[in-house]
Amino acid sequence: MTGPWNADIREFVLAFADDEHLMGQQHTEWIGVAPFLEEDLAFSSIGQDELGHATTLYAIVASDGDPDRDIGTGAGVDDRRLDALAFDPDPLRWRSSHLVEAVTDDWAHALVRHWLYDDAEQLRWELVADSTLEPLAGAATRAEREEWFHRRHADGLLDVLLPTPNAGDRLRTALVDLMPLAVGLFDPVAGEVQAVASGVAAAPFDTRMSEWVDRVRNRFGVDLPTIETPTPTGRTTRSEAFGPLLSRMREVLDLDPAAIW
Amino acid sequence: MKRYEVFLKKDGRDEYRHAGSLDAPDDELALVLARETYLRRAEGDRLWLVNRAHLVVGDTDFVAPNADKPHRHNDGARIAERRRRLREEGRS
Repeated sequence: MTGPWNADIREFVLAFADDEHLMGQQHTEWIGVAPFLEEDLAFSSIGQDELGHATTLYAIVASDGDPDRDIGTGAGVDDRRLDALAFDPDPLRWRSSHLVEAVTDDWAHALVRHWLYDDAEQLRWELVADSTLEPLAGAATRAEREEWFHRRHADGLLDVLLPTPNAGDRLRTALVDLMPLAVGLFDPVAGEVQAVASGVAAAPFDTRMSEWVDRVRNRFGVDLPTIETPTPTGRTTRSEAFGPLLSRMREVLDLDPAAIW
Repeated sequence: MKRYEVFLKKDGRDEYRHAGSLDAPDDELALVLARETYLRRAEGDRLWLVNRAHLVVGDTDFVAPNADKPHRHNDGARIAERRRRLREEGRS
């Protein structure tokens, strides 16, 4: 095995995987209850794509960054190792951002989070598009083949809904609610410094935050209050919403912890 | 919401075929949603969407009068029957 792999890089990739996983999980929870049938299908497909990205990223971790392993679909990696990462019962292990942990029980919040997350995700993949960690660079290329569609979906809905009086107000309210959580996406995760130093990432994610905030302003046509870069926490704390979310994800696994899947 | 009719075509010599319909607020979202509603499993290589409001429609009253003109259904059965009869008459 070659390539830059150590405990720091592992943390860095794992944080990205956790975000993708929980975002996908949250989107899929709209199956059957999205506002109309076609949207139900589209949104759960997008959630499925994010779960696919998470699988790829967990597979990179599970194979210790091995560039020769087939991690495109996770097929080259033992499922049980992926599950151990994806359904880890220990909250201390997780590095997810609080944005993807939050409960959004109305569609306006779900849609705004979808836009905020996917717009930031584009910048995040760009930073690893030329990664010295080969499987990560490959994952970035594959992800962008799906991500353009996610952005077009979110933008298409916002184009229609933002100018509509009631819907527009609900979306702007959701934006104000979610922005403090959304900036947490840029909170430097443990391992990022080392990832940048070894060329795994081109630059720290928070170097792209001001560009992203400008895009948010332009998209929603609002004057956001000055957004401060949050105090770095290394993403080591979980929000209140995390416990119930993890329980929902582990619901079937926990029915019989000894079962072999 | 507007209603769109969805047509798909595989590359090659197949024609466009009607796949179903779709509700969407505008053309852009109709395209986005059609991709996930009708093309999730690569059912086609090309996509047409037609806003149903733009269809030119002939209703059933307009179409019906031609249902009672059996002479336009020239399947040759009546001619064949006549020729068979003439042949048999000729032989007898």
